[in-house]
Amino acid sequence: MARIAAHAEIKAGAAAGRPASRSRLSCIVRIAWRALRDWCGDAAYEHYLRSKGTRSASAHTLTPAEFYVEQLNRRYSRPNRCC
Amino acid sequence: MRRFFSITAWAGVALLGASALGAIALRRGETLNAIWFVIAALCSYLVAYRLYSAFIAARLLSLDDTRATPSERHDDGRDFVPTNKWVLFGHHFAAIAGPGPLVGPTLAAQFGYLPGTLWLIAGAAFAGCVQDFVILFCSIRRDGKSLGQMAREEVSERGGFIAQLAVLAIMVILLAVVALVIVNALKSSPWATFTLAMTIPIAILLGLYLRFVRPGRVLEASIMGVALVLFSVVAGQWVANSHSWSHIFTLSGIAITFAIIISAFSASALPVWLLLAPRDYLSAFIKAGAIFSLAAGILFVRPQVLMPPLTRFIDGTGPVFSGKIFPFCFITIACGAISGFHSLISSGTTPKMILREGHARLIGYGAMLLESFVGVMAMVAACAMTPGVYFAINSPASIVGATADAAATTISSWGFPLSAQTMNDLARSVGEQTLLNRAGGAPSLAVGMAQIFSNTIGGAHLLSIWYHFAIMFEALFILTVLDAGTRVGRFMVQELGGRLWKPFGRRGWMPGILLSSAVIVGLWGYFLYQGVIDPLGGINLLWPIFGISNQLLAAVALVVATTILLKMGRKRLIWITLVPMASLVTITMTASYAKIFDPSPRIGLLANANALAAQITAGTIPGAKLGETHRLIFNQRLDAVVTAVLALMILVLIVEAIAQWYSILRRSREPILHESPYIATRWAEDFSGAAHGDD
Repeated sequence: MARIAAHAEIKAGAAAGRPASRSRLSCIVRIAWRALRDWCGDAAYEHYLRSKGTRSASAHTLTPAEFYVEQLNRRYSRPNRCC
Repeated sequence: MRRFFSITAWAGVALLGASALGAIALRRGETLNAIWFVIAALCSYLVAYRLYSAFIAARLLSLDDTRATPSERHDDGRDFVPTNKWVLFGHHFAAIAGPGPLVGPTLAAQFGYLPGTLWLIAGAAFAGCVQDFVILFCSIRRDGKSLGQMAREEVSERGGFIAQLAVLAIMVILLAVVALVIVNALKSSPWATFTLAMTIPIAILLGLYLRFVRPGRVLEASIMGVALVLFSVVAGQWVANSHSWSHIFTLSGIAITFAIIISAFSASALPVWLLLAPRDYLSAFIKAGAIFSLAAGILFVRPQVLMPPLTRFIDGTGPVFSGKIFPFCFITIACGAISGFHSLISSGTTPKMILREGHARLIGYGAMLLESFVGVMAMVAACAMTPGVYFAINSPASIVGATADAAATTISSWGFPLSAQTMNDLARSVGEQTLLNRAGGAPSLAVGMAQIFSNTIGGAHLLSIWYHFAIMFEALFILTVLDAGTRVGRFMVQELGGRLWKPFGRRGWMPGILLSSAVIVGLWGYFLYQGVIDPLGGINLLWPIFGISNQLLAAVALVVATTILLKMGRKRLIWITLVPMASLVTITMTASYAKIFDPSPRIGLLANANALAAQITAGTIPGAKLGETHRLIFNQRLDAVVTAVLALMILVLIVEAIAQWYSILRRSREPILHESPYIATRWAEDFSGAAHGDD
């Protein structure tokens, strides 16, 4: 799917008159940036807002600060670092 | 035609790997370039991944991409978060990669480079990766249930309880051992102690920023934090050169022990966002950077491996730790080949985030291959230094002597030439007062890494900076393991205590938090303390017990996996988990027996206790040392009991499982599989991938 998205971005770049190699490079950088943000947890709140559970829940949506603390409490209550 | 090229290419990879393995195994009497290790490992991993993991995925597990995973069915943006497979691979690898694959191979290098390297590669491909992969699959099919829950449901109620107790016991020993590695790396080193102490205010600063200024902006906060930590590595040099400041940060082993205990207690009892989580972020970035740099450095420098393939110490008389090559090489390598602890991660966060069942192959099997590669690099770093230097750093004073002259004489008499001048020059060049008797693996690995890094960037001028960067990197992520492990142990203690007295089980109740934190810290702190006061340096005593307990947990995971696979009707392929399980049980039970009953005081705990008791009876222990000797006798007997209890617990679980297997094979009872029902994925139709991405 990421490959399809990358292809679409390259096509859009070409349509806007940017050379394909530049579009490809910017696309790779964008994908790498997104992966880095996903890996380190920077994008966790955005995922939370987009999740099916949040969209369908009748309860109130957590603020970024509430979500951050709640997420950490959950993550560090089970083994998450190994020997 | 395409198939022909594919077969030819894979045959080429296999041939190249076999040639490299042949070069490693058969070279005698001359040094070997490290590039052979890299080629042998990479080709073996590629073949194992391409063939064996694909076979397991298709024939044993029948991974089904049409089946909705827990992350799709329960998508709540919190626990169950559909995640791109490469991002999840990174998450999973960061979680499973700890100090074990670095320290274990470094210690096992005393047998020579060959046995450890072969076990790292073969053990990972046929045991470690299989365990991680199969447990991940089992947990995905059970809505992300933990190993303990699966043991309870699929083996027996008692089996689940034993697994839970075993996890707690193993965690206590694990935390004590990794803490001991830091103590031995930091004692009498003001530079390293200052750098690590600075991570506390830096982490608190980050914690406040992430909580109140820019909630959840982990990336920008981590970049600032990493810059500050790197600055503190450089600043440590100024501290070490200042008379008054170096005096403050020059601490004994006992002082560092108490500092670490207080730090871990604080991380457990304080809000998680203040110290634990931000230090974990710093550690994750530095760990990723250091491991990548080490791999790049080895490829760039291509050092010569100076350690012989086999040393005289395969007979069990090694100075780093005692015990014969079988079973102690396997026990010592630990996490680089197979780690029971990984099964807790594979049945924890990862199964709740996986997008498709098919991704379990890359994440479960592939991440463990990468961890094994880290182990091979640590082996190269340890074996690339002069063997005499390696033994001088890793041997306790009671064996090689406390002075450079004594150590040089003893080690040279073993056939590994070493001069006192070499050790003094090396200590000076890395900015330390001494490198002698720094058992634990961390300092020798840091020397090896620093030599590789300085040959890549900066030359001899930067050797001391690289050494302290490596020490900081090892100590920081060991501290993270300590902090996180203490907190999880606290919850386990609260859960067990809550069965006796309800309020104790409430997670937010402050007296319960403080008491349970004190209990868990007290438990591992006691083992740490006995390691620090041990005349053989402690690692000799504790690392084998850690290895045994970790591999016993792996045996538990493989027992659970085998039971589930038998219930699924995979009788013909059951050898895939059964053979590694049987091998592990044989290795761990042999090692447990040797640790408890071996007649040599350097190996057997009871023999050592009896030898010390006999010395007291004979009056050869000075009066001033009587109290300490009695404590040592008690500790040796306690360790023997702990080892025996762990082995017995696992044996009970195995007997329970064998009874289950027998009834399944005899068809005397209909096997009940506790899988979640099949629900077809809907992502093929409506999953946009915008938030989650996929390949």
